Amino acid sequence: MAYVEELPRSLPGVREEPSRICAVTGLKVYAGAQSLTVANAVAAVLALAMGGIFGTLVGLTRAPGIDALQPNAFYVALTGHGVAALILWPVFFEVAAIVFASTILLNARVFSLKLGWSAFFLMVAGGIMLVVSIVTDVRNAVMFTAYPPLVANQIFYLGYLIFAVGVVLALVNFALSIAAARAEKAYAGSLPLLTYGVAAAAILAMLSLASGLVALIPAWLYANDWIGAVEPVIYRTWFWGLGHTLQYVNVVAMVVAWYGILALTLRAGPVNQKFSRIAFVLYIIISLPVLGHHFLVDPSLGNEVKIVGGSIMGFLLGVPSLMHGLAIMGGAEYEIRRQWKTSLFGWLKKLRWDHAGVVALAGSLLIFAFGGWSGTVETTLPLNLVTHNTMNVPGHLHQTVTGGMTLAFMGFAYYLVPILVRRRLWSHKLAVVQAYGYTAGMLIMTNAQIWAGALGVPRRTADIGYGGQAPGGWELPMDIAGVGVIISGAAGGLFILIMVATLLIGKRTEDPNELVPYAVKPA
Amino acid sequence: MSDHADSPAAPPSPGWSRRFPRDERIFLWLIALSVVAMTSFTIAWVAGFGNQNAPDNTFRTTPEEFRAQVGAFTAKYLGDDGKVHVPPGTDAYLMALRYGFSPNLVLKAGHSYQLLVSSIDVLHGFSIVGGHQNLNIEIVPEHVFRVTLKPEDPGTYLIIFNEFCGLRHHEMRGQIIVER
Repeated sequence: MAYVEELPRSLPGVREEPSRICAVTGLKVYAGAQSLTVANAVAAVLALAMGGIFGTLVGLTRAPGIDALQPNAFYVALTGHGVAALILWPVFFEVAAIVFASTILLNARVFSLKLGWSAFFLMVAGGIMLVVSIVTDVRNAVMFTAYPPLVANQIFYLGYLIFAVGVVLALVNFALSIAAARAEKAYAGSLPLLTYGVAAAAILAMLSLASGLVALIPAWLYANDWIGAVEPVIYRTWFWGLGHTLQYVNVVAMVVAWYGILALTLRAGPVNQKFSRIAFVLYIIISLPVLGHHFLVDPSLGNEVKIVGGSIMGFLLGVPSLMHGLAIMGGAEYEIRRQWKTSLFGWLKKLRWDHAGVVALAGSLLIFAFGGWSGTVETTLPLNLVTHNTMNVPGHLHQTVTGGMTLAFMGFAYYLVPILVRRRLWSHKLAVVQAYGYTAGMLIMTNAQIWAGALGVPRRTADIGYGGQAPGGWELPMDIAGVGVIISGAAGGLFILIMVATLLIGKRTEDPNELVPYAVKPA
Repeated sequence: MSDHADSPAAPPSPGWSRRFPRDERIFLWLIALSVVAMTSFTIAWVAGFGNQNAPDNTFRTTPEEFRAQVGAFTAKYLGDDGKVHVPPGTDAYLMALRYGFSPNLVLKAGHSYQLLVSSIDVLHGFSIVGGHQNLNIEIVPEHVFRVTLKPEDPGTYLIIFNEFCGLRHHEMRGQIIVER
């Protein structure tokens, strides 16, 4: 049912581009925007598959009862896991989201498809360079953080830099696409909440990348012996300007995915958009200084700076997340109670708990709440003395990034991708199993890791035996974490299978109820 | 205006920007209160109410200078057992380098020590575990951490280095022996 309507021509050189009207949302979808979004989403899913395989191997090595990999292979897998699962997967998915939010949600075209595809191919090239440099040479297994004086060869740093340039181009294209949509009056009034949230993520991404270039360009020069040394404390500061701000790009994108799932599966929204929008702005204001919590027990800053930049900013960062949590759950409750007049908790029973969107959203909210609590503990200065570089840290970041963000992205992808490619999700039933499995696996894994961290088990190490000197009690939580790894690894594999099968053999359909089943039980 | 909430996927209906209703204001006050509580708690702890705190006494050095200081310190107090017996009241040095640390320290229980810790190659973690202890700090080359440490219970404490430092990172360990 594709048709083309006359476009306003306020920009010179604009060509008409084929478009269609989406059967679910009624929005105008341009072919260029659609293929660019899908390409980035596919790259994201492939990166997730890679990160997931590395991550499962890492988790199985950390469980002393399994001990899957030899140390060298373990450090390669751990570095690859960090790069693929923490950098490539979220950023590719976020670029898919920024293309989607700046074009399809606004009834608009991509400002420049050339720019969009250049960004995409630079990101792909950078990602390939990073992964290839890690898996082909064990000397490049320096973890994704690559703290100097530890150094990898220059392909590793160039991979980072080329990837970053690609992301910058995608962000520029995003801003220009919104400006063009506004100039062409493709939409009226304020930006949709999803686009607004994505814009907040894009601003944070710009800050993050700027900081990353300051860290990584000297590191690249150092890797080539073109400069003599990189000051380790200064590198750490700028690197975490990249690294932690990027996690808040991820958090904001996760919140956008929450609202996206809410909008698609429940046809609901937050009761008060101003509340949600202010929460997005708070993320931008508070996120950057919070990188201080990476240095709470570093020999660099004084305790006054650490308390303000680490602890207090860390506590404040809970504010926008709690606001969004209220807005999401309140929005779902309001919509269901408005339509079905259910009781205070009756609306929860009205939800379809055999619906992948509901399960992924609820699982993501729950695990992210755990992540908030563990993060608050770690960001408290005196407590960081106990948690720093222990298993507490991977426990926390898998609650936020994996259980929170990845699960939310999975839930959103189950509806976003079918709408875009107009194919029915390959199996809604398996998607439900997947969402439950991932939630359960991540809850088990992360909480066992935090337990291990409290006992002092270190992170990022191939072996915790220490020649038999390790304190007793370390192995049990790590083995339990291994059980969680197996469950979530299997569920992650199921997600990849469902996505690939949907793209290749999903039944073609335009029926909104097949593309996005309604998440409320029929009356 | 319908009572249906605006979709997040579309521009909001006119008049969306209004004063927060009462339930949202109460919620925000509760969050603000919890932030204030956590902040006061942290500041009070660091200001002296807690008996275990993150050290923040640091100074710059060079790897050569630090290595020389550690060498002199080791030579002065080295015992016949190959361990360094630190007299109470003396600064104790601890130098990390791939893949170990030196010297092996012997401290006396119940006495306070200044422990000067640094690395002469790459970043290392410093983690005392065992004996129900779990203390972790970051060791950065060119920066010395001056940690005040008062061992209370005699015993052998495992030191592990929990910042990734190279391919034999997991082999890196040491001990601090606390004598009565």
